[in-house]
Amino acid sequence: MRTASALSPRGSETSTPRRNRIRQLPAAVSGQEVVLVGAIVALWVLLGLTTPAFLSAGSLQPLLSNIAPIAIIAIGQTIIMISGGIDVSVGSMVLVCAVVAAKLMVVFDTPLIVTIAAAMLVGGLLGLLNGVLIAVGRVHPIIITFATSNIFLFIGLRIFDSQTVTGIPPTLAVLGKGINGRFLGIPVSFLVMIFIAAAAWYYLRYVAGGRHFYAIGSDGPAARLTGIKVDRRAVLAYTVTGLLVGLASCMILANGTQNLDQTVGTGLSLATIAAVVIGGTSVLGGRGGVLGTILGAILVQTVASGVTQLGLPSQLGDLFVGLFIMVAVGTDLLRARARRRA
Amino acid sequence: MENHALGPDGGHEVPQNPARVQLTGIAKRYGAVRAISNADIVLYGGRVHALVGENGAGKSTLIKILAGAESTDAGLIEFDGRPVTLGTTSSSIALGIATVYQEPQLFQELTVAENIFAGRELRRHGRIDWAKQHEAVVELLALIGLEERYAPMTVSDLSIAEQQQVSIAKALAQDVTVLILDEPSAILTDAEIENLFTVIRRLQERNVAVVYISHRLDELARIADEVTIMRDGRTIATHEMKDVSIRAIAEAMVGGMHAVQSREHKAEPGPARFELVGLARSNRFHDVNVTVAAGEIVALYGLVGSGASDIAATIFGILKADAGTMLLDGSPVTPRNPRHAQKLRIALLPADRKRQGMFAFQTIAFNVSIGHLPLLTKFGLWVDRKRETVIAKDMITRLAVRTPNELQAIGALSGGNAQKVVLARQLVVNPRLLILEEPTQGVDIGAKEEIHLLISQMADQGTAVLVVTSDLPEALRVADRIQIVRKGTTTVTLPPTASQVDLLAAAAGEEPENSQEGAGHENR
Amino acid sequence: MTSIKIPAPTPDTKPSPDSGQTQVQRLVKAILTQRVMLLAILVVLVVVIMSALDAAGFLAGSYNSDYLSSSLINAVPLVMLGLAQLVVIVSGRGGIDLSVGAIVSLVGMVFGFFYGVWGLPLLASVIGAIAVGAVLGAVNGVMVAYLGFPPLIATLATYYVFRSLAIVINNQQPISTKPIQDLYSLSNSVEIPLIGQYLPNVPLGVVLFLLPTVVVVWFLLNRAPYGRRLFAIGTNDIAALWSGVNVAASRAIAYTVSGAISGLVAVVTVSQFASARPDAGDSGSGMALPSITIAVLAGVAITGGIGRVSGVVVATVLIIWLNAGILLLFVGNVGSQLQSLALGVILVFAALLNGYTNRRYRVMG
Repeated sequence: MRTASALSPRGSETSTPRRNRIRQLPAAVSGQEVVLVGAIVALWVLLGLTTPAFLSAGSLQPLLSNIAPIAIIAIGQTIIMISGGIDVSVGSMVLVCAVVAAKLMVVFDTPLIVTIAAAMLVGGLLGLLNGVLIAVGRVHPIIITFATSNIFLFIGLRIFDSQTVTGIPPTLAVLGKGINGRFLGIPVSFLVMIFIAAAAWYYLRYVAGGRHFYAIGSDGPAARLTGIKVDRRAVLAYTVTGLLVGLASCMILANGTQNLDQTVGTGLSLATIAAVVIGGTSVLGGRGGVLGTILGAILVQTVASGVTQLGLPSQLGDLFVGLFIMVAVGTDLLRARARRRA
Repeated sequence: MENHALGPDGGHEVPQNPARVQLTGIAKRYGAVRAISNADIVLYGGRVHALVGENGAGKSTLIKILAGAESTDAGLIEFDGRPVTLGTTSSSIALGIATVYQEPQLFQELTVAENIFAGRELRRHGRIDWAKQHEAVVELLALIGLEERYAPMTVSDLSIAEQQQVSIAKALAQDVTVLILDEPSAILTDAEIENLFTVIRRLQERNVAVVYISHRLDELARIADEVTIMRDGRTIATHEMKDVSIRAIAEAMVGGMHAVQSREHKAEPGPARFELVGLARSNRFHDVNVTVAAGEIVALYGLVGSGASDIAATIFGILKADAGTMLLDGSPVTPRNPRHAQKLRIALLPADRKRQGMFAFQTIAFNVSIGHLPLLTKFGLWVDRKRETVIAKDMITRLAVRTPNELQAIGALSGGNAQKVVLARQLVVNPRLLILEEPTQGVDIGAKEEIHLLISQMADQGTAVLVVTSDLPEALRVADRIQIVRKGTTTVTLPPTASQVDLLAAAAGEEPENSQEGAGHENR
Repeated sequence: MTSIKIPAPTPDTKPSPDSGQTQVQRLVKAILTQRVMLLAILVVLVVVIMSALDAAGFLAGSYNSDYLSSSLINAVPLVMLGLAQLVVIVSGRGGIDLSVGAIVSLVGMVFGFFYGVWGLPLLASVIGAIAVGAVLGAVNGVMVAYLGFPPLIATLATYYVFRSLAIVINNQQPISTKPIQDLYSLSNSVEIPLIGQYLPNVPLGVVLFLLPTVVVVWFLLNRAPYGRRLFAIGTNDIAALWSGVNVAASRAIAYTVSGAISGLVAVVTVSQFASARPDAGDSGSGMALPSITIAVLAGVAITGGIGRVSGVVVATVLIIWLNAGILLLFVGNVGSQLQSLALGVILVFAALLNGYTNRRYRVMG
């Protein structure tokens, strides 16, 4: 109404000088993300005051390298959940990828790149299987991934062959363990995570294909009618998540000891979903982002490490994770309700 | 048809510029049903063409053909003088024919700007061309009258009217030659309608041919240049808007319909069973006054968006009133929810059968008894299944539901039979007030007759009946009195002996005093 | 009530959907659409194949009625939690309960205190366990039905909270006092009175916990007015509202029932372990995943409104007897690992079948 050119008849449009560019996308940082940053800062300050050792490099470096794998898997989970899906099989996928990578190193002494590539290949294939089953079967993703989770568990345990893998060489230490695993004092795995997060953030925000995930999650059938290749997007999301799981499995190996036992990956599926949900991504699809997910992962891991540093039973951390989910989703619900009333 | 002004094309001036789209001799049937038998319409760039007709006259089929959502069985479609074949939405879109449906079809979680380009982002070398999109967004927002700050807002944060503006912008993002607006005003307030008209006028300036479908005839005089009237699958006439009155249009719409046999009045109605005094709810309806006596059938007749169905929902406790009183047998009541309304022995047959009425894959018996579980429960523990079966069987007989038995899933029944089952749920306990919303929508002729007869019998047994309907003959057929609902309030009351034209004209906005002259002209 | 004076109802002239189909087509349709039938056929197949393998000498032990009967002890928690998921999933709007395992852990500890530490009578302790489970389930119910949390999120959050509390409540220690240890007798097999001598002995837990739960849930869903409300809100909660059903309360009750059943499962688990373990219900992959698997296999529609008690029972028996056979067929760890493969493959198969039958034989709404 304010721009003169819009009122001119078709064909005689003159280019009027425009003031500044208007935004076409939602705010880059959501209110929930700001709150999360605040909560993390408050938590770090609090932990720093109560246990001064918390803010030392020796304490923070392991924390950061523990955040990295969870956050990387959660990035994939975010893409899936934005498109309205969910993947509860990532925990079992970690089991498979980790044992494959560990055995390769033990038996063939594979170099770093080959190990990572193999783990990602395995993860990618498992993710592809999820994606294809979901796209072709038109079944709710939670059911398919529950099922494949059981199948992956079997595959992983078979490769373990009922024994803990021992004598894993330190090939992967470069990813984040010890002096060699750091760059400017920060664990390499954390830096890799930041790099992947930035790429995913850019893709989800500025690339048409990324925005289509939001459209699919917002209204799948309508997205199909608009010409968006919904099935192809689903396969892509689950496959990418598989690749990320492969990479994250190597980081988990790097963070661990010489031995790998059969419990690796247990509870990771729900932990990544928790991080994504606390970060503000809607389980109903269409809404959310990578930044919140990273913050969610940082918060969850900080609480886990803070609880042990305070000398409390480690499982108490779960209590806070549960409460964080309630508060994060609860406030979002209240906001939506207030908006509807207005 | 004894209409003076309305011969085919009578007095219709042909505009100077050539036709943009011309449809000639269009016919379309769905199975045995003839949706359109013969339709002609000519659309010109820069003109707003209103399309009116009663429900089932063939309007929506005609615009679906234009939008490419349906193919034609016969007829010729010309675009800029060349014959074209439509029949797929992409073929229509390629010609610049865009449709905005009544319910905005948008991605709720995406921003306004994103919705405008969803699925067809402007790209350069595979990447989104933000600069180009930016230019287009600025221009489109200005065109539809939304400020620039709306661009990054999430659609779910917008009002329905704003969402509709966005869907118009979405339609305009391509090169639009023809824009079809399907009842755009039904969900809008007066102020919002003004805004819509401003947008339409701007499109006129850009030489877009606009097809405007509306039941509110009073609006047409203000926005349309010409009007085509449809009835029984035919285009009856096309007129310059300035040459016809609302009444003349209403007459043409109902013209061929036979006079409706109204119900025989058994006895004088008893004392007032149910009264609404000054009932109001912000933005929905205001100053609603209705009285229904025991044994009386009152019809609330209103067009889509008149507020009549909101009034019904408020009586049933689904919506809350802001002001006014509800009296049941003289004492004030305020139903808190449908359960409470049922305790007061108010029954309601909802309008949208599939969404609000049916439990599709449950049995007929389940669908009947679900409204009466307290009644059917023995010792507070279990459902008396014998009694449930007896009631269901009784209802099947009483309402003549065509089904092998009471264990058939309701979803497998025809529309008319399913409607009878949902209706049966309201009749298990004799209600004090029976509200029927669109009781025969999507129901075949035979079942329609039966349902009307049943309504009449319910009243004869002493039930107060309120029929909320947008079906003109139905209102005249079943009611003892007809109250018109328009723009959220009850206006005049008419007897069942009134003509269809009287009713339609009253509901569509004709002021009673100038019933013979064109009502819309002075507004121009 | 009078009847309208209209011609007697004539049977629908439109041909019924079944006519014009061959016997085979009708049988295929029955098997595909009636999940219990398909599952029962599969159970028979499993038993026949395993018995044949047994006769041919491929099995490590004998796959006979005693073995099958005693293996049913594993079915007790699975059927009960499968029923809990059934109730919750049927309630609709994406109903699911991820917290059942965590409730089992927490209530198990609470029961340990009731019976093993404070010395309450057994019956009072069991009732107390059920009540505490119901309260925990009600937390889910309120979050879902009244506050509008997506069920997946609400129960994920309480999963974390409950399992954490279970561990913290007794300082990470299990409760294995004498009374608790003595509860192991509940896992023994007993002879059924009167007709028992002609049948194999049945695990006591089946009689004491499983059968009563099955009967109560069956009654609740198929005879009680609540069952009608539950299926109504699961089928179409808008229509339920317009029919006068209290939608929020009915949905909240579903989660409460699920919690109560989980509370009883906690007692079963404590007796099986002869110890109240703080991670009883959520160690490893936990109890939630298998119970959801059972429900889906049983044909419960994840969209709500469809599901049967008999389906859950037969689906569990299928899984249990298949697993029992696998354990004899593959000695050692391979056998137990193969169980999860079987579970996964069967679930994929069931889910794809659900999708296919829904598209092919959809009851139009």
